[in-house]
Amino acid sequence: MAEIELRNVSKRWGSFVGVDRFDLTIADREFLVLLGPSGCGKTTTMRMIAGLEDASEGEIRIGGKVVNDLDPKDRDVAMVFQSYGLYPHLNVYENIRFPLKVRKIDEAVHEERVMRAARMVELEPFLHRKPAELSGGQRQRVALARAIVRQPNVFLMDEPLSNLDAKLRVSTRAQIKNLSHELQVTTVYVTHDQIEAMTLADRVVVMKQGVVQQVGTPTEIYDRPANVFVAGFIGSPGMNLLEGQVSGSSFTCDNVHIDGVEAPSGRVTLGFRAEDARLAQPGETGQITAPLYTIELLGDATMLTVRAGGGLVSVKAPKDVRAEIGDRVSFVVPPAICHLFDATTEARLDGR
Amino acid sequence: MATNTLRQPLSLRLASGTFLAVWCLLAIFPIAWIAVMSIKTPVDAFAGSFVAVLTGPATRAGGQGLSVLDLVLGGAVVIALTRWAFTGLPGIVRRATPAGWIALGWIVAALLYLALFGLVVLGVLPQLLDALDAVAGPLGVPVIGATFEHYYAVWVENAFWRNFVNSLIVTAGVVTVSLFVGTLAGYALARSPSNLAFWLLIAALIFRALPHSVLVAGYLPVFINSSDWLAPIFGEAAPTLYGKPYAVIAVLVAINQPFTIWMLRSFFQNIPTELDEAARVDGCTHFQAFRQVIMPVMWPGVITTGLFSFLLAYNDFLVTSLLLDAQNQTMVPAIASYFNRETTTTDQVEAIAAAVSITAPLFILVMVFQRQIVSGLTAGAVKG
Repeated sequence: MAEIELRNVSKRWGSFVGVDRFDLTIADREFLVLLGPSGCGKTTTMRMIAGLEDASEGEIRIGGKVVNDLDPKDRDVAMVFQSYGLYPHLNVYENIRFPLKVRKIDEAVHEERVMRAARMVELEPFLHRKPAELSGGQRQRVALARAIVRQPNVFLMDEPLSNLDAKLRVSTRAQIKNLSHELQVTTVYVTHDQIEAMTLADRVVVMKQGVVQQVGTPTEIYDRPANVFVAGFIGSPGMNLLEGQVSGSSFTCDNVHIDGVEAPSGRVTLGFRAEDARLAQPGETGQITAPLYTIELLGDATMLTVRAGGGLVSVKAPKDVRAEIGDRVSFVVPPAICHLFDATTEARLDGR
Repeated sequence: MATNTLRQPLSLRLASGTFLAVWCLLAIFPIAWIAVMSIKTPVDAFAGSFVAVLTGPATRAGGQGLSVLDLVLGGAVVIALTRWAFTGLPGIVRRATPAGWIALGWIVAALLYLALFGLVVLGVLPQLLDALDAVAGPLGVPVIGATFEHYYAVWVENAFWRNFVNSLIVTAGVVTVSLFVGTLAGYALARSPSNLAFWLLIAALIFRALPHSVLVAGYLPVFINSSDWLAPIFGEAAPTLYGKPYAVIAVLVAINQPFTIWMLRSFFQNIPTELDEAARVDGCTHFQAFRQVIMPVMWPGVITTGLFSFLLAYNDFLVTSLLLDAQNQTMVPAIASYFNRETTTTDQVEAIAAAVSITAPLFILVMVFQRQIVSGLTAGAVKG
């Protein structure tokens, strides 16, 4: 069990900055998710914790000990790789046992610990198969078992679900959540999928181009995004973002007029979530009125999209709503649900 | 319908079949022909008619030949023994060797099998068949002339086995050194992100492009004068490297190494880096990861590269003939020395017998490692 401290950790290749002054303390037993689009430095950060990449600057501590100059094997971490990284010449049993063998742990306990790990990920029927004879989900479970067999200080998971198909992803995600609850080990989990981040994390770190954008619980990140990037990246669909003018206390742009906005006059970016707004009742006039651009049936709801403020704006409507493309629709967007961001710095304006 | 659309017209199938048959015949002809010649007396071997060479009337007249009984029984025993080597033997080896000693088990099994094969085919079988021929009547009368006197002359009287041992020393040395250096260098170069690795590989390519005689010419004076050069270190006992097998090993390794490094590097590049990284996180040092995780995955590549190194050393003529003195001669230049101004037809048939002899190890090698070689040659061609 260990706390991980990252003190102003940076990674540079020549003049390219991979990770810029990453500073964070990951509490003992915390499940931390690093989230961001590809190339944002989240995997590099994890590889620096694992010791597979040198930090150009800064200090990494695991359990209070500076590990910058330690080999991966001396950091007591276990890692799950995106493409599994299983040893093709060993069967499942030997794959799971490998960390125990190379670390010279007493042979007498191998059998029991391998079987326990295999049971946790439901791999017992496959112990004698080679990795090539397993499906993708089974392979990833072998990788998980290999990571948990040793009871390390820290788990590192590098996009473990991204090579699986959609259905398997959901069930393996549930399995990871359950495992982490059972094992109570500090975990760093890298993903570009915000649903994984929301469902698994105690805390989420959102990154973009090597820079941390926001650190917070999933609810904080969802309900109070720190800037335009986080607002647009989190949520499915991402937050609707409108660029417009505030004068007095009303926000205006193409097809949009919202009164009661508390912000200084000038250019701002206004955001709201599709599920917070609603379709106007017949006869009622909403804050956004425009011809319908597209209508998507999601099953549990209907997504209505119009053009407004130089982009597309989506609103979730009840599942029985039907309309034709081109029909004039009106959305009710009360000022209370709106998030305001500075138009130039893109940071959150905390007037609300 | 599908079967109809996929079926080729008869004429095409006939043409391709004929072409294949002709091509196979052409490819196999030289080796088959010298194999036939090597078991005939010189009179038959150089006879004017094709049939006479095949059946060998003069050899038969000399009382040496194979009867129908010999052909059937002897052939059956040889085929059965060969089949057993691939069907029965592997199971026995697997059951009899303790875990972790499988390589040693195979070596022991191979030696025992060779001894058994020699004992049965060269020792027991001829005696038995001679006895049977005497009582078999018409079936025991020789129908094809065949004599193994040339093989006996080559291996025993001319002490060709000494050349065989020298060849073994040279090839074993070249293969061992090439693979040892090649795997380490290939792995390092495959994993290194630096620019230097690229330039090292280009330099290796240039060395590979040099004619072999350039390297030999460069080494030769050094080897001849080596006792003077090494005197400051070894004093009086400083060796003259010229004529010694290790001089040849050094030159052949120099010729071969760039190629093995390139080949092994491309094999290593096909192994994902995640495998190294997983091993290192699991508790391996760099070297342990290389030995315990990368090398087991690399066997097809190592065996394929090893085979090419073996062929280069085994078949080399230029370097071995220039650098070795008579008593250290390897097989290929030894065969060449059969041909000189005073060559008799007997010498020539003996040279042919020697030539047939040196192809046998190649056949065995390819047969034994065929699966690894194929998977090595096609590695990376299809996604595993």
